[in-house]
This record gives sequence, structure tokens and C-alpha cells, in this order.
Amino acid sequence: MMQNVKINSYQFLVLVIFFTVGTSILAVPSALAIVAKHDAWISAILGTALGLLIVWLFTKIGIWFPNLTFVQMNETLFGKWIGKVFSFLFLSMTLLFTAVILYYSGSFLTTHVMPNTPMAATNILMAIILVMAVRLGLETIARSAEILTGVFFILFILLVIFIAPEIKYENIQPVFEVDIKSIAESSLTLIVVSSVNAVTLLMIFPAFINQPKSAKKSFFIGNLIGGLIIIIITFLCITVLGADLTARQEYPSYGLAKMINIGNFINRVESLMAALWIICLYYKMVLYFYASVYGLAQILNLKDYRPLTYPLGMIVVVLSLVVFPNVIDQHIFDSTTSKYFSLTIGLLLPLLMVIVYAIRRKQLKKDAKPS
Amino acid sequence: MKRGIFILLILCIVLTGCWNRRELNELAITLAMGLDKIDDEYVVSAQVVVPSEVSMKGGKGTTPVTLIQGRGETVYEAIRKMTKSSSRKVYPGHLRMLVISESLASEGIGHPIDLISRDWELRSDFYVAIAKDSTAEEILNVLTPLETIPANKMFNTLKVSEENWAATVGITLDQLITDLISNGKEAVLTGIIVTGKQELGSSTENVITVTPSAKIKVDDLAVFKGDKLVGWLTEDESRGYSGITNHVKNTVGTISCPGGGRASLEVLSFKSKVKGKVKNGSPEADINVKIAANVGEIECSIDISKAESVEALEKLYEKAVKVTINDSITSVQEKYETDIFGFGNAIHRSYPNEWKTLKNQWNQHFTEMKVNIKVDVKILKTGTVNNSVVESRKD
Repeated sequence: MMQNVKINSYQFLVLVIFFTVGTSILAVPSALAIVAKHDAWISAILGTALGLLIVWLFTKIGIWFPNLTFVQMNETLFGKWIGKVFSFLFLSMTLLFTAVILYYSGSFLTTHVMPNTPMAATNILMAIILVMAVRLGLETIARSAEILTGVFFILFILLVIFIAPEIKYENIQPVFEVDIKSIAESSLTLIVVSSVNAVTLLMIFPAFINQPKSAKKSFFIGNLIGGLIIIIITFLCITVLGADLTARQEYPSYGLAKMINIGNFINRVESLMAALWIICLYYKMVLYFYASVYGLAQILNLKDYRPLTYPLGMIVVVLSLVVFPNVIDQHIFDSTTSKYFSLTIGLLLPLLMVIVYAIRRKQLKKDAKPS
Repeated sequence: MKRGIFILLILCIVLTGCWNRRELNELAITLAMGLDKIDDEYVVSAQVVVPSEVSMKGGKGTTPVTLIQGRGETVYEAIRKMTKSSSRKVYPGHLRMLVISESLASEGIGHPIDLISRDWELRSDFYVAIAKDSTAEEILNVLTPLETIPANKMFNTLKVSEENWAATVGITLDQLITDLISNGKEAVLTGIIVTGKQELGSSTENVITVTPSAKIKVDDLAVFKGDKLVGWLTEDESRGYSGITNHVKNTVGTISCPGGGRASLEVLSFKSKVKGKVKNGSPEADINVKIAANVGEIECSIDISKAESVEALEKLYEKAVKVTINDSITSVQEKYETDIFGFGNAIHRSYPNEWKTLKNQWNQHFTEMKVNIKVDVKILKTGTVNNSVVESRKD
């Protein structure tokens, strides 16, 4: 054990919510609406339901190894060298996604709020607090997340209440018009972004949690609450903006916040609402980065992971600036490459682990006993 | 600790928040924008507020707004070229009105409004309108009394008239784009005209007389087919349109009394529901209108203290509304062959499967479709008095 930190299951719940909502809240409604049109909210429900199945798989794996992180599980199951290779693959994903989210946050800010500021500036500022958080450790991350959930939910509830008068139910009719194939196809996006990528959380669950049993529940509930938030946002986008406009928008939920107008008095509050997305993006990014740094330290058998934060932080900043040449490329990456990359690491690898565990179960138990 | 302070000091240099700052006195706050096309080039006019004139202290008596123009092959180019004649860069974040000239609209508005929806500085809560029989520039060149800023006057006129008279419909950019994309509903936009001596409108003298020589007026609705303007509705047809699309909030309905003369009803609530259906492969629409009204004015000999005469008024108004709606539909079906009422969307909602085959030639189907109208009027009160003066004298 490099450090003996433990977070409680409520803190874990908060982290899971942030991780699930994370990037989805900004981009998923339009990604769903492009394929599933006005039935996008059904895709969101389906995606959340299927996502819970995947989370169930993760908790199953986690409970088998109550004291190990994902990287250590790999080494125990597949042996030292093959395990390390798989872990490297996993870390390449988490590190890449850290950079991708950094790109998202920079791109969002420079598109809507500060169009003339170079992305390097926004990204470096973001990366500074990212590195800071990871250096301070998991406990600090979890506690700050606990505080910010309040802000998050207040803003979210305000958004829902303020936008509710604009809802037009005609926009979702006819319900179930799109064939089931498109609904399933589009829900895959949500499953991947919100649930499959949650394999990252196996770096925290169950090794750093004081009560793995109740944390298992937190994993489910967190994913469910996060999913509900996505369903609500998608539903609001479709009913308020309409399917066509939702699909057309780069950031539909921001477009949603722009529509808020209560008696010409409460309006133009979208920048306030942007805080909502930034909080989510930040925690998802922190969790990815924490997994990358901690995982790498474990692969290299380092005593402390902190020395790795600065170099990896710099890599992430540079990577975030060069990862996509333009926005179009990001869209293509999101809808093709990243999906299969996530599925390989977040679904195939865990399934492989289940198979190997089934075969090697007896031997593993024997190894575990003497020590 | 020392290191922390050092970092904070460095951050002070970086985070001053002055990156690309744009101070208020560097912005040309644009409240209305006009799009024209002359010789294959876009002419964009921006009505910019002169801050010193609209301040509380009062200005020097010059015009409260000024017009900046730019020409270019694209709208964006034209807007940027405005800087050639303006000391400040146009800031459209507070835009209230976008006026498009009739000639440009009949060529198609899909392309010119792309920038408007793509640019980050613009929001989508402003109204879009068509300059009827004139260029957009001419509309933006008129000063108005009551509201110092003409853009606000147009915005508010449109809003107030939509809420109280119902022959106009304020269409925001979002609504317009939704209509342009949708297969089952074509777009409409409100027209704006200048009446009177237009050439005098741009001077402050226009607003120092009780009756201004040039006036901006909100007019009837422009009908679109695709993104091209194809014609105009009359006032009654516009009212029919508002009725069908449930845009009426409050209006006045005039009816002819059985024994000659007229009466007006103040409509308090006007709810209409359109339901699409497909019968033997051919589309139909049911329009259900529920109206609650008060007696507003009696200019004929009718004894409204009796229940049956109120009932008669109800019947008469039901018929009148039915005729207005029906006329509006048949005229659009015959003249323009474009489904501005959104019947296509109504059928799409309730008959998604049939819609798949219908939508390919929807405008053709629209011209042949049957519309059933049902109106239900309830008169609640008779105002502050009962019978009219003339009627009371008879007794």
C-alpha cells in the first residue's frame, strides 16, 4: 500500500455521480438526437438501464479482490507481464481521456465564453487544479466533491425549474417512432461514456473504500442518479428545443440554459449554468487522471505516486492541445474510435477477467491463503 | 508557505482577466440588424445605440441610434466590413430584431441566417421579420416616438400586438429554424412596413410632432415555401393562422348582429387543438377551438339581458371564427400550396407510419386535404353594464 487512505461509501457515491454525468451532460443529448431524433430520451433510459448491468459486472469483479486496485487485479489474474501489458493499455485510455476532457472543457469555454482566449491558457489553468487535486490525494478529492454536490444539485434543480415552463410535449410525439435499432445504436454512446468508462473507478473501488459492501450499492445508486440526470437533460432538450435543434447544437444543454426566461427577469443565466458542466467535467477528469497516475506508479512499483503528477500533467496539457486538429475530428473520434477503445478496455477486458477468474479461482484462493 | 505566496503573485499577473477585454465604450451595441441583397452582395445594416443619447442625463439632441452598413459577399464579411465606417465593433449580443428584405426573402433565407445561428455572440431570443415592400435598411432608418430606440419599438409592438390583437405572430430565430428544418410545417414571418413620408423618418424631427411623418407598422404574415417567401396573407387570414396555431392570447372578435349592426366580443382565452388523421390514405385535420369571451361592445339592437340572445351571439361568433379559419386555410391551399399551419406535423404525431409515405409530397397532399373545424364559444360576462344605451331607451 502506497498510502492508507479510505473514503466512505457516501463520498464514493458522489464521485460516481460526477463520473456518470461528467461529459455526458454536455454532448450526449445531441449525439442521441442525431440518431434517435425525438425518441432520444428513450435511448437515454435504455442506455442507463443497460449501463447498470455493466456496473454490476464491475462491482462483481471488485468484490473478488477487496484490497486490490484494477492494475493489481490484472497482475494477479494474468500474471506479472501480461497483466502489466493490459494495465498499460488501461492507463493509455485513462490518460488519453484525461486529455480529451481537458480539450472538451477548453473547447467549451473558448466556443461560448472566451472565444479569443487561446485554448492553452484555459487548459493550463484547468490542469493546475487538476494536478493539485491529485497531489492532495483521494480523500481531498472526495471531500471537495462532497461540498460541490450541493452546488451541483442546486444549479441543476434551478435549471429544471426555470426551463419547465418552456416544455412543449408535441416535440416528443410520436413516441417510439424511430425503430428500435436506432434507439439501441444511439444508447450505446451513453452506455460507453457513462458506464463502460466507469471501469476507471475500479482504481478506487474497492481498494480505497472503508466499507466495500455498502460502496457496492453506492456504485449502483450513483450510476442510476447520474443516469437520471442525463435522462432529464435529454428530455428537456428534446421538449424545449425540439429534436432538430438539439441535434444541430454543439452543446445542446447550454442552448437549453439560454432559453431560460422567466418574466423577462430571470434570463441570460447560461454562464451561471456553465458552472454545472465545469464541475462535472472537472471531477471526471480528476478521476481519470488519478487512475492514470496511481496506476502507473503501481506498475512501476513506485513508493509514492506524487512525483508522477507533474510530468503526466504536462503531457496531458500538451496532449489536450494536439489531440484533435479540429472539432470535426473530435466528433469523428467520439463516434468511432473512442467508443471501440472504451469497449475493448471497459467491457472486453473485464469479461476476460471474469473468464480467467473462473478458470483460476481455486489456485488464486490457495495463493491467497498462506499470505 | 513562501512558495504559495510566490505562486499567487505569479497568478496575479496571468489572471487579471484582461485577455481580449472589450470595454463597454468599445462596443457598438446593436439592437436591430437588417439584411438586404443588392447586386449579389449582402448589405447588412446595424442599428446601433448612441449611449450618450439614451442615458438618464439626456444627450445633445442628436439621434438615439445610428445606422452602420457594410457590404460583402457573405453576411459575415459584410458585418466585419462595417468597421470601415464605424469606430466600434458591432456587438450583437442584445439583438432584438432581425429584419430581412422582401426581395432577399423571396430568394431564400436559409443561407443568410446561417451565420446568425452559428455565431457565438448572438442569442436566439430575438424576433425575425420581413421588410414588406421595402429594404431592411429603410425600416431601420425610421425614428420612433415613445420608445427612443426603434428596435425596441418594433420588438414591443410585435409582442403587444401578438398578445392583444392576434393578427401578428412574433417568430424567434429558434422557431424559424425549427420550421425551416421540419417537413410538416412551413415557416411564416411577420411583415414590417413603413408608412408615411419615409425619407423624413431618419431625422429627429420625425419624433417631435404628435403624428410622426414616417411610422413603422407591424403588418400581416409572410408565407414561406421552403426557405423562400412566396406571398402574404391578408389580415383576416393572418388571424386565422394565429387561431389555428394557438397563438391567440387575447383579441377582439367582431360579429354582425342578426338585425343589422355589429357587436364586438373580447376574447379572454382562445385554445385551439389540431389533430391530424388519415382516412383511407388521405390526410385530414380536426381543429378544435375553445373560446371564452366577454361582451365588449354592442352596436346593434339586441337584448343581452336575455339568455337566448347571448346564446345567439355565441353561435354567431362560432360561425365567424369558423369562416375566418376556413378562409385562411383554403386561401393558403389554393394560392400558395404550402403547409404553414403544421398539419403535417399533426399527422406525423398521431400517424407516424402513414406520414412516411405522405411526407414526400406533403405540400401536394396539403392542398387536397380536408379540414374539419369545430368552434365552441362561451360568453361569460357583459362588461360593466348590461344592455346598450340605445336598447335601454326602448323600454
